Amino acid sequence: MADITLIAAPVLGGFNHEFSNCTLAERSDIALISVAVPRDGDTALSTKLDTAWTLTMPTPSTTTQANGMRAIPLTADQFLLAFHPDTNRTEVSVQDDLAEVGYTTVQTDAWVILELSGEGATSALERICPLDLAPDAFPTGSAARTVMEHLGAMIVRVDNTRFWLMSARSSAMSFLHAVETSCRWTAS
Amino acid sequence: MNQPNRVDGGQIDRATTLKFQFNERWLTAHPGDTLASALLANGVRLVGRSFKYHRPRGIFSAGSEEPNALVQLHKGAALEPNTRATTVEVFDGLYATSQNHRGSLEHDFLAVNDLLSPLLSAGFYYKTFMWPRAFWEKVYEPVIRSAAGLGRLSGKPDPDEYDHGYLHCDVLIIGAGPAGLAAALAAGRAGARVILADEDFRMGGRLNGETYDVGGIAGADWARSAVTELTSMNNVRMMARTTVYGAYDHGIYGALERMTDHRADSGDKPRHVLWRVYSKRAILCAGATERSMAFGNNDRPGVMLAGAVRTYVNRFGVAPGRKVAVFTNNNDGLRTADDLRAKGVDISAVIDARKGEFVVNTTGRKGLKSVQLNTGRKIETDCLAVSGGWSPNVHLSSHHRGRPTWREDIAGFVPGGELPPGMTVVGAAAGTLTLASTLSEAHETATRIAMDLGKSRATGEAPKARDEDFSTAPIWHINEGKNRAWVDLQNDVTTKDVTQSHREGFRSVEHLKRYTTLGMATDQGKTSNMLGLAVMAEASGKTIPETGTTIFRPPYSPVPIGAFAGRARGKNFRPTRLTPSHAWASESGASFVETGAWLRAEWYTRPGEKGWRDSVDREVKATRTAVGICDVTTLGKIDIQGRDAAEFLNKIYANAFLKLPVGKVRYGLMLREDGTVYDDGTTARLSDTHFVMTTTTANAVLVFRNLEFARQCLWPDLDVHLISTTDAWAQFSVAGPKSRALMQKVVDDLDLSNDAFPFMSCAACTVFGGTSARLFRISFSGELAYEIAVPARYGDAMIRAMMAAGEEFNLTPYGTEALGVMRIEKGHVAGNELNGQTDARMIGLDKMVSRKKDFIGAALLDRPEQTREDGLQLVGLRPVDANVNLTAGAHFLSPGDPEDMAHDQGWMTSVAYSPELGHSIGLGFLKRGRDRHGETLRSFSPIRGQDVMVEVCSPHHIDPEGERQRG
Repeated sequence: MADITLIAAPVLGGFNHEFSNCTLAERSDIALISVAVPRDGDTALSTKLDTAWTLTMPTPSTTTQANGMRAIPLTADQFLLAFHPDTNRTEVSVQDDLAEVGYTTVQTDAWVILELSGEGATSALERICPLDLAPDAFPTGSAARTVMEHLGAMIVRVDNTRFWLMSARSSAMSFLHAVETSCRWTAS
Repeated sequence: MNQPNRVDGGQIDRATTLKFQFNERWLTAHPGDTLASALLANGVRLVGRSFKYHRPRGIFSAGSEEPNALVQLHKGAALEPNTRATTVEVFDGLYATSQNHRGSLEHDFLAVNDLLSPLLSAGFYYKTFMWPRAFWEKVYEPVIRSAAGLGRLSGKPDPDEYDHGYLHCDVLIIGAGPAGLAAALAAGRAGARVILADEDFRMGGRLNGETYDVGGIAGADWARSAVTELTSMNNVRMMARTTVYGAYDHGIYGALERMTDHRADSGDKPRHVLWRVYSKRAILCAGATERSMAFGNNDRPGVMLAGAVRTYVNRFGVAPGRKVAVFTNNNDGLRTADDLRAKGVDISAVIDARKGEFVVNTTGRKGLKSVQLNTGRKIETDCLAVSGGWSPNVHLSSHHRGRPTWREDIAGFVPGGELPPGMTVVGAAAGTLTLASTLSEAHETATRIAMDLGKSRATGEAPKARDEDFSTAPIWHINEGKNRAWVDLQNDVTTKDVTQSHREGFRSVEHLKRYTTLGMATDQGKTSNMLGLAVMAEASGKTIPETGTTIFRPPYSPVPIGAFAGRARGKNFRPTRLTPSHAWASESGASFVETGAWLRAEWYTRPGEKGWRDSVDREVKATRTAVGICDVTTLGKIDIQGRDAAEFLNKIYANAFLKLPVGKVRYGLMLREDGTVYDDGTTARLSDTHFVMTTTTANAVLVFRNLEFARQCLWPDLDVHLISTTDAWAQFSVAGPKSRALMQKVVDDLDLSNDAFPFMSCAACTVFGGTSARLFRISFSGELAYEIAVPARYGDAMIRAMMAAGEEFNLTPYGTEALGVMRIEKGHVAGNELNGQTDARMIGLDKMVSRKKDFIGAALLDRPEQTREDGLQLVGLRPVDANVNLTAGAHFLSPGDPEDMAHDQGWMTSVAYSPELGHSIGLGFLKRGRDRHGETLRSFSPIRGQDVMVEVCSPHHIDPEGERQRG
């Protein structure tokens, strides 16, 4: 079937909308690989992350970032690596890099990532996110798993006024509706 | 004349005039007015009818404690009944009507109830309408229901939007009167994160209604400057129009913010936001509510609380009457006369109960005309300002069941018992009823709390004021005269009702409340509870603290149900999960069914098909004869990795998994601890340390949760790791005799011959020239079948490509109904059979259960109930008369047996029409079923009225040897 090639499609069609005080956009350019830490394998994995990308392991509530690679905590012994895939760094290559030191699973398609940015981002999040997002309570680099409008979600503070909101791909439309509604209702 | 009762001053914008309607009459107001102040300004005194007796009622208070002035706002679907006019901000175009009258407000036919009042005393409905019995449902109840209630609902869906939200703070300050403002200034200056919430649209509380000085300026001006300073602080959130209605666990408070009620157009924004406020500390500065005294006919329009009269004069620039009398038992009430005189209002009398003078009766049907004193003196007046003292607003302090305690010096209850953790009460709410003390107490308390929280910045000095002269005589009820004296204006409860309930044995205050309805409804007894308690104490010969008090519960004031619901209405009631092929399925005529949160295609309608059966039969036939495709992405998928992953699975499943070869798939049975089957599925081994488990759609989350529990708690020493990949892969079942030919066309460079890729094989592969994929040779339909998975981002492209590739094979999409038909034909169990009572023996899989290893459920496999000889076993059923459609849920009876549970032999779990066999078929559980193939039974369904004969057969209605799926 050489005449047919499958084309990848972002689950929200590349949604991007500017509200009066914030911008909401689907990030379909991020690859996600989960890395589970083998039992008694922390040191080997840490060393590999350091040598490969000068990246340190994330803490339970804080992401780490280096050389275009961001580590986002998932569970006690598992985290996500988020990066822009390109010809030199692919899902496969990252998995290969970690093959001996961690258990990896491609998670790119398991999640939808919404990037919410702008001065009004926290006002919009007040309507759906139960977490305290004040800068001293949830500073840049923080990450947490939570629930938004009945959906399991993860929130990462990428910058002072920029957040990644991650939830399951299958309910992406509902998740978008929830966040978009918050943006619309808190827009001036 | 426009607004004839306006006087000078007030915090209203006189430069702007607003127009609003009350009972279809256009009136004018100014920004800053409430509906109540605007009505009074326009000389409207009669605004509603009372609950039970339909007596004319006017405006009684100036806040959320209002029991009388309930009106309906808006029209059509937006109609909102039972709204307190004292809390409604007037805006241009506001439409309001009075409520609870038959005929006009002025001429209410149901005012006849007042004449029947001797028959309608407390609890009358418990004692009357007992005979004849049949009349209750057909006559009495409909009539009472028709007459009862206040406003009317529109009966249409609420057109407004509501939202929820979450806030966090160091200090939540509840109430922005003098105490709240002083506390907020101290905490805010100290650097604490402060939320200051007040139910009013103008912060300042009593300072706006009084003429006190604070810091050398008028109290209202000080309040305005405090609000300005607080608004400028980044660490302070000012929330006017926000009622903190409940204190919950762990420092969490519920707050309702009215976002757009004061606007003619909501601008497509939610009307209310229901906030969940997480606080480290809370300072309750809720103030106090003035109460009345009970005397004859004390409910006429024009009888008002004295503090409210001052508020109307000082804050709104409105004189509630032209000739006002004051009736008070305290010094605070006397201030009313001074404030009114200062505005040029005539004072007809000041009646001080402490001097032995009492009002015993009033006249004026639709508005007060005169009051009668115990001395016989009659005073002409159109407004009587009554002050019976102040009751601290302790409500939120008792939401965790802390019982208020009595303070004799203020004749009122103050917060007592155990307060909600983190709460401190200051100011009038704590019984500190004078201004200077309130300000210093609030300032010092907030400073201390801020220091406790590690905030050390200077908080400045407490605002300076004078403590006003305040003393109250505990005078509650004027006994002289035979006229009815109202305790609870909202529920038409009189002193006689209270004493009568006591006579009838209702000794507990809680019983009094429920028997008389005292303290219920929109005002929750804010002006009546104390009075009722005092009258009851008097009747029982006890003191008030001996008599007790009621415990307050949330909400402090009414919260619309819509606000509790928030966005969760209609299609947004819960999230929806969509499969990767959803858009294509929609375009292809799919009808969708909810399976949990998922929307799955149940069948695809083709032109000319007259019903779902046509579609399903066609899909089954096409799959059985050629090839069909079904999106099975919804099945749970769990990536299981680790050195001990195989051992882990061997402990999870009832059957062996330790030696499953790489590249193979195995059906697995998962048991609960009690040995009951709770899920089944397949698990594929991709490498020595890597497995992919498939679960049922319904149990995907449960299985993951149980695996995680087992991993973390049961066997923490195992090196095993889990992550869900359900959403990561778009997975399609491709089934039918031509499936191999199709898949050979789709899959790149993989030999799919039966020898190279036999039944229960799996492999990583690519499809359509390079897209990574996983291929499993497994079958739920019983046909030669595969499941092909691609990353979800390719799911839409994959189904379209598959349909194009499958055209030559007559590839047919099928939905969950056809899937169900084929699994019943094949005898595969699903949710109907795995109902939480089923063990492996019942479904014929006992031989699969390993006796050589330990696994979850092993210990309780052989309980007596599970090993009994006449146990239920899965069988197939077919109707003796092939034209009969079987009924799921029907019970099996031997011919001639009575239809009772003693003779019950089992039940039909699943039924379907089999297009291949040409008749209805079923699966069911039957006692000793496997030994009874060929036997004829009754299938009896009293619910559906079916009683037919069925023949017991193998559950494998088609291909019992499995030749198709292995072929």
